[in-house]
Amino acid sequence: MISLTIDGMETQVREGTTLLDAAGFLDVKIPTLCYHPWLKPFGACRLCTVEAQRPAGYELLTACNTPCAEGMIIRTDTEHTRAARRLVLEMMLARWPNVPVLRKLAEEIGLERVRFASAQRDEAENACILCLRCVRICEEVVGACAISYEDRGIERRVVTPFDQESEACVACGACTQVCPTSHMRFEAEDYRGRPRDFLLGTNTAVYMSTAQAVPKVPRIDADSCIHFKTGGCRKCAQVCEPQAINHEMLDEEMEVEVGQILVATGYGLFDPTPMVQYGYGRLDDVYTSLDVERMLNSTGPTGGKVLLKNGKPPRAVGILHCIGSRDENHHRYCSRVCCMYALKFAHLIKERCHEAEVYNFYIDMRAFGKGYEEFYMRVQHEGAHVIRGKAAEVVQSPAGKQDGAALLVHCEDTLIGRFREIPVDMVILCNAIEPQRDAGRVARLFGLSRSPDGFFLERHPKLDPVATTTDGLFVAGCAQGPKDIPDTVAQASAAAARMLATISKGVVEIDPVRAEITEEFCSGCRICNALCPYKAIDYVEDKNVSYVNSALCKGCGTCVAACPAGAITGYGFNDRQIYAELEGLLAV
Amino acid sequence: MAYRVHCMVCAGTGCVSNKSLEVRDALEKEVRKRGLEDEVQVVTTGCNGFCGVGPLMVVQPDGIFYQALGAKEIPHLVEEHFLKGRPVKKLMYTPPEAPAPVPKMSDIAFFSRQRLVALRNRGLIDPEKIDDYIARDGYRAAAKALFEMTPEQIIEEIKLAGLRGRGGAGFTTGVKWERVRRTPEEPKYIICNGDEGDPGAFMDRSIFESDPHSVIEGMLIGARAIGARHGVFYIRNEYPLALERIQIAITQAREYGLLGENILDSGLDFDVSVTRGAGAFVCGEETALIASVEGRLGDPRARPPYPAEYGLWGKPTCINNVETWANVSPIISNGARWYAEIGTERSKGTKVFSLVGKINNTGLVEVPMGITLRELIYDIGGGIPGGKKFKAVQTGGPSGGCIPAGMMDQPIEHRTGDRKHTVADYLAMPIDYESLTDLGSMMGSGGMVVMDEDTCMVDVARYFVAFTQDESCGACTPCREGTKLMLDILTKITDGHGTMDDLRALEEIAWIVKQTSLCGLGKTAPNPVLTTLKYFKDEYIAHIEAHKCPAHVCRELNTYRIDPVVCVERGHGCGVCKRECPEKAIFGEKNQPHRIDAALCGKCGVCVDVCHFDAVIVE
Repeated sequence: MISLTIDGMETQVREGTTLLDAAGFLDVKIPTLCYHPWLKPFGACRLCTVEAQRPAGYELLTACNTPCAEGMIIRTDTEHTRAARRLVLEMMLARWPNVPVLRKLAEEIGLERVRFASAQRDEAENACILCLRCVRICEEVVGACAISYEDRGIERRVVTPFDQESEACVACGACTQVCPTSHMRFEAEDYRGRPRDFLLGTNTAVYMSTAQAVPKVPRIDADSCIHFKTGGCRKCAQVCEPQAINHEMLDEEMEVEVGQILVATGYGLFDPTPMVQYGYGRLDDVYTSLDVERMLNSTGPTGGKVLLKNGKPPRAVGILHCIGSRDENHHRYCSRVCCMYALKFAHLIKERCHEAEVYNFYIDMRAFGKGYEEFYMRVQHEGAHVIRGKAAEVVQSPAGKQDGAALLVHCEDTLIGRFREIPVDMVILCNAIEPQRDAGRVARLFGLSRSPDGFFLERHPKLDPVATTTDGLFVAGCAQGPKDIPDTVAQASAAAARMLATISKGVVEIDPVRAEITEEFCSGCRICNALCPYKAIDYVEDKNVSYVNSALCKGCGTCVAACPAGAITGYGFNDRQIYAELEGLLAV
Repeated sequence: MAYRVHCMVCAGTGCVSNKSLEVRDALEKEVRKRGLEDEVQVVTTGCNGFCGVGPLMVVQPDGIFYQALGAKEIPHLVEEHFLKGRPVKKLMYTPPEAPAPVPKMSDIAFFSRQRLVALRNRGLIDPEKIDDYIARDGYRAAAKALFEMTPEQIIEEIKLAGLRGRGGAGFTTGVKWERVRRTPEEPKYIICNGDEGDPGAFMDRSIFESDPHSVIEGMLIGARAIGARHGVFYIRNEYPLALERIQIAITQAREYGLLGENILDSGLDFDVSVTRGAGAFVCGEETALIASVEGRLGDPRARPPYPAEYGLWGKPTCINNVETWANVSPIISNGARWYAEIGTERSKGTKVFSLVGKINNTGLVEVPMGITLRELIYDIGGGIPGGKKFKAVQTGGPSGGCIPAGMMDQPIEHRTGDRKHTVADYLAMPIDYESLTDLGSMMGSGGMVVMDEDTCMVDVARYFVAFTQDESCGACTPCREGTKLMLDILTKITDGHGTMDDLRALEEIAWIVKQTSLCGLGKTAPNPVLTTLKYFKDEYIAHIEAHKCPAHVCRELNTYRIDPVVCVERGHGCGVCKRECPEKAIFGEKNQPHRIDAALCGKCGVCVDVCHFDAVIVE
């Protein structure tokens, strides 16, 4: 420990502590400019000048980069430090008179008049004041080294190499974060990061997937994490006290042996961007149902408040049903859940913004579940408007028209038989439930069939809605077709019961109808392996023959017909037996 | 084979640019022609130091000094001197106001008052021959350091000798070595700082050119003391001859096993490499130099950590100036006591100065610390040419200060700790680190620019600030903005638009820049301003209040008129000025007095230069 005195206060600090940090512990304020806690001390602006007592008078030191030394006597506010800070700031203001951060500092240290006018005077409010925070963070923290400076002395400028767009830039925005004058900024103002909070708020590469996530640990989005782009940064690892962050961790593939599988891979959401008439991604305050679900969530980006992009609550909200579903151009099926969640949105928005008008634009109101119709009635009583007619388009409201509402929803109200224009501030698109984008890959992996709409096909729509044509393989939830939570729970419970029944029995009964391979004839060509729709045929490396897993084989006979060597026969259906059967029939 | 005569022809940059190599070739040709090649040896040496009168040649063993030679004079010289034994008087040096030439080099005051330690071999050896160096006891000190001394003993010896860094700041060399040695990290590096950027300074260049092995030997001893295995020469690319000679010296030292692995079977491995600097002045600052060696922009960084702890590639690094390294081997050979006897109480040994400006004997001199300015300027330097008055001397390069003539004969106060005492008697000011610092200047690397009464001190300050402003790296605010603001104010004053408020602001900026800048460049850049303000404030005030430049240097402030009497009586109204005036501001007829129309005069001063009769008066 090192003892020193700062402004008459004795203190002890660890070796290597800077004067600025030591003063910070004592709540002594020292003005800084080029200093930034994430960066190595640089000592360039010289504003943090303090006075150290020396045998022959005094010495001026910069607090940000001078380590504490034993017995130092430091004073932070003296005639000399004030004179130095004022002149340094005066010189900066002579060059950049309008930069807010400098003007604020001038106010703080009582600099009223600037006597000089620099020949390099730059009137811009966002002028670069050469603190080089951007250059330093790009090199020290990000590790991209995409920005540097050129020339020397008064001509020095912060630039990218050769003033060209830098290929080394990873667009992390760290420089814009540390720039004290907003000289550094993103060219595309609405740059929005990752899909976690959709169109709402900003995102970081380290995040909690949801507030109720299990396991409840944050995760790193490798696509946006700076470390995975440049090898630098790792700020999160530095601040994590238990040192729980490991950037070297890789995705792991695990093999688990199981007897039965429940495919419950869920659903995807229809992307409404191609339906340009609704303006998603083009018009401000047009959201999808999932965006709004996040917004309404108390752990979401707005903390559960219903807010427009400009931070104000909406005065009118339009909820557009059947976006992408019940639509000849997209999905013909009904997504089943939209009507009810749209009513839920109406209910919650009314609850949270009492003044807001809510309009539901529907084709048919499908409130068929238990208590659903009652909820529909209740929402109407609460004052939500329902308009029968699919919304045709959403357009920017002409300026000054319609009480200043930003958007207009065009629709045909089929109950009154009239075309209507509804002014709203916010539009919610109830976009369709659709199969996961990789449902085809999953189907091939498990040997599942898919119905024409792309969802996984059950063995029988009425008699066996949870099993599939492959034994031991079950489906549940929206992977099988759009359904709401109660239906999903019921289906999943049924599937679980079916699986448990097999487990408790201890044995698997198989059909006697199956294929068999005569090993002597098999040439190991493996044509059958790829053809088997149930993935029942494996190749045995050491014997160079194929092998039928009789527990999986359904006896469809595809392989029997395809085998060029005639090595595969149907069990109980070999040529001799069939001839014998034929003879028996013909003998009658 | 023993020669009768050795002709030591100077091949320093100054003499070479005056065609000394042609002189050498002529000499060799003539010697062959006369069949004297077995009797007369022609040796190309490094800088002799007396650069002002080059090309030079010293004829040994008699020590006859020839100056201002040309190839034309060689046949006559060879015939007279080498054949007839009659040294040629007209080619010898005649000191100013002396009645007759001085034949022997040792009798010339310029040489006789010097004490050579770092430059001990100058003019005596061929810098491109390691054998010459070894013949002058070269590498003996290295051998002693390797086999008879422990690293601790070497450091102790250097500390006892009191050797201080010759680069300018004067940090005690032994203490620096010890710090690097004690830093546990490996590997350690040593660097030779040959980035001599001061205008008018050429000490380092001269050492490289005249005796490169003395620097290599010093570094070898340093490597042994510090425990370094790699050394770096940082030499500016503007010194092609120095670069060439150091490369030759390194190759030769490697061939002789004095660099490389297991040097002289001692087990020490040490080798060096050469990095060429691109010429930025700030790269003479050690942290900027390290950045430059590492291939980064030559920007200084804040210290601490000092290079002794965190230097080249983040490893402990010892940086010393060329002259410091050259001083190491004499200390080891002759002992610390011998060295410490030279110089003053706190500044030991000798110092090389480059004596330039308004002085008769321009050149490089090595003198004991504590020599007075009077001795240096009048005895060695031969005084001011043209009988002009000595006004001031600027020491320490662009970041040094100006010491006025009065200080040569004034007692000065010298602060050591809290005690005030007089270090100088009433006759002369001794030159050492402390006294120069006390005067607001500094030793610097040893530049010494002498100025006479025709020098405007405001203009001098402006010149040096313009230099530092241009060379400022721009990292820290005070140096980047402050030097520019100072330059603007100084330009305003020399243009005649200055106010007393400007003068106060100038002084304030200078003080704050000095106290708050990040590196040595900014901390010393205001010195020329502060010292001229301290000693020559009246000149500033004359510029501002009377709109006059007392030395008539600042043209904007001058007024030109023609003395009608002189113009007619002596010049008969010759009209040269009228013809040459670019502004056509001069009127008059032949045999009539001419006059200058002040409204048209562009103040270029051409009329003064062309008038043969001194009829143009500058006021």
